[in-house]
Amino acid sequence: MPDQNHVSLMILAAPVVAATLSLFIKNIRMLHGLNVMTMVILVVADLVLWATVVREESFTALGNVVFIDSLSIFILSIVVGLGFSCSVYLWSYFDDEAIQQLVQPRRLWTFFPLYHIFLFAMIVATLANSLGVQWVAVEATTLATVFLITFFKSRESLEAGWKYLILCSVGIALALFGTVLTYYSSIRVLGEENAALNLTSLLPVAAQMDGHVLKLAFIFILVGYGTKIGLVPMHTWLPEAYSEAPAPVTAMLAGVLETVAVYAVLRSKSIVDQAVFPGFTGNLLICIGLISFGTATLFILLQRDYKRLFAYSSIEHMGLAMLGFGIGGPLGTFGGLWHLLNHALAKSLGFFAVGNIFRRYRTRQIHEVQGMVKVQPITAIAFLVGGLALVGMPPFSLFNSELLMITSLAQMTFQFDSFHLGRFLTITVSHEIRSLGIIMVIVLLSVALFGGFIYRLTGMLWGTPPAGIRQGESWHIGQLSLALSVFALVWMGFYLPTQVEILLQRATDVVIGR
Amino acid sequence: MPTLPINIGSYLVNLCSALLLLTCFAIVAQRRLMACVDLFALQSVFLAVTATLVAYLTGIHHIYLAAVLTIAIKAIILPRILKKIVRQLNVQREVSMYVNIPTGLLTCGGLVILAFFITQPIVHLGFLLTQDSLAIALAIVLIGFFIMVSRLKAVTQVIGFLVIENGLFLAATAAAYGMPLIVELGIFFDVLVAGLIVGIYTHQIQEAFGSVDTSRMKALKE
Repeated sequence: MPDQNHVSLMILAAPVVAATLSLFIKNIRMLHGLNVMTMVILVVADLVLWATVVREESFTALGNVVFIDSLSIFILSIVVGLGFSCSVYLWSYFDDEAIQQLVQPRRLWTFFPLYHIFLFAMIVATLANSLGVQWVAVEATTLATVFLITFFKSRESLEAGWKYLILCSVGIALALFGTVLTYYSSIRVLGEENAALNLTSLLPVAAQMDGHVLKLAFIFILVGYGTKIGLVPMHTWLPEAYSEAPAPVTAMLAGVLETVAVYAVLRSKSIVDQAVFPGFTGNLLICIGLISFGTATLFILLQRDYKRLFAYSSIEHMGLAMLGFGIGGPLGTFGGLWHLLNHALAKSLGFFAVGNIFRRYRTRQIHEVQGMVKVQPITAIAFLVGGLALVGMPPFSLFNSELLMITSLAQMTFQFDSFHLGRFLTITVSHEIRSLGIIMVIVLLSVALFGGFIYRLTGMLWGTPPAGIRQGESWHIGQLSLALSVFALVWMGFYLPTQVEILLQRATDVVIGR
Repeated sequence: MPTLPINIGSYLVNLCSALLLLTCFAIVAQRRLMACVDLFALQSVFLAVTATLVAYLTGIHHIYLAAVLTIAIKAIILPRILKKIVRQLNVQREVSMYVNIPTGLLTCGGLVILAFFITQPIVHLGFLLTQDSLAIALAIVLIGFFIMVSRLKAVTQVIGFLVIENGLFLAATAAAYGMPLIVELGIFFDVLVAGLIVGIYTHQIQEAFGSVDTSRMKALKE
């Protein structure tokens, strides 16, 4: 059996080595080969760690620097799994761009090192034992992705990148304040030591920490990492950055980076919940989740740009996941975690397809794209599947996770059930009406969203293609990523593999602190 | 070991924190970009002095390292980068702002009161030496935000961000006598890289837009 230390070291070292090597390799084929090979190594290492976690629940490695339990391995699997599929897609993406002479091959030399550093930062954020190191890594993801977003160097992309850099750095600075406050309350209990920000020391003593400080800390952390997740009202950078970045980068931002930021919030939630009553974090998450969901739905109905359409859909789904975590309990948390996985798959699929469409049509306007089924049959199928999955249609797995969260909402009991309006009027609302009311709002919004999304999609899929566009699509390796995502979405819609279910179950226990 | 009595030490730390806050107000009141950069450098020096005082009075050695890094990165390297940008871009004064200076100063006064109000329930948990610094740190963070939203030029926005970082560093020093060493090093590294990226970036913005006025970036509105 391979040693945990070696495997952890490998998973951390592989992207760094790849980034360094990419600086010196001048051959494009070799760059892509190196990239895919690194991802294969990461996937294998991840599977080994997964097996270890199934056996041992949780462990630390590399002298307490790395802490891995079911939750972190679940997130790590999303990171490396999507990273792999994205790397395969990158290959055909850049080959195509180079053939159309939109990207000079030598610019890829700056792309790949940054891409690997981005991956490295996300892996560190997932595996770090210390909350401080986690913060440093999340900030590093912002810095690494700025020049990936502005890769095409157009004025719009520079504008989007600037917004991204400033908003996310500031947001993340707030999360640092939250982390400082966590440390402030933890050294009260643990004494002054370097390990006082480590999860392994925090989790056992969290119940003794000061509630006031932790409440304040959680608010700062939620706003801070919430900026990275793209929750409303800190979302303004997101549609711009997602629509200006190259499609594979957007897929990574939407599928993986958001998930990692959610992970950071969940870690802090599991600590804060022990010290204050669980309703506190839950209510905050429900509020911010509902606001994000509602706002994103309205903006989706207004979109005329298909990349922005998918970008707003990210905000919407993250809002839903936050709602799931806010409701909490085994059902809501399980649904939320599963939703993260499903969303990552569907959204990366969506952006892969969007990248293919943009390279053929060279426009982002929805009404200028028509007749995709004739022009790009394979992409059209992937696009349709991605779109249907994202609006929550069965048989795709997003339907199941959304259903789980709505069910958990129906079972939820509220603590306060009367409102005082002024001095004389008090309205009392029963639990059933409260939860059914929220469900009704969510379902109504979902229906509106369904209509809006499908209306746009069908317009793009059918109809007559614009004159002078090349028709037909040949097989290339990038479509493997599309096929894999479609397969995973359908498969999990019918049957959740036992290993994944066990992992999800245990990760749920970690989040709710059982 | 400390030779100063604890209450005098506490006065000194408070004095330095107050000076940090004062430089914040000076930045808000300053239109000339070069002077803003200088004030930021001065603020970083005060921060380093505060950190050195805390390190001396508590005998915790790794805070000395943080103080040295503050001087090196925030008082020397980053101001140099920023000044180079200002000189290259040939923008000396910020003529237009979203909020005029007197209103800005008043708002900042309000922010300081807000910061003291928010931290009131938790300051009693802190160390005696640095009890009031936490509130001041939060005030600096909030004023940093205000600088970012009220100014138009990319350079001043970056200064706002760095002021926020200074506030956070003061918070960490005041509240917990500094973060664990590895975290502190990581934060310094991030700040340094952020500074370099901004340097490259403003150059690209200048090339593409012919100005560093971020209010010109309006193509991507809903």
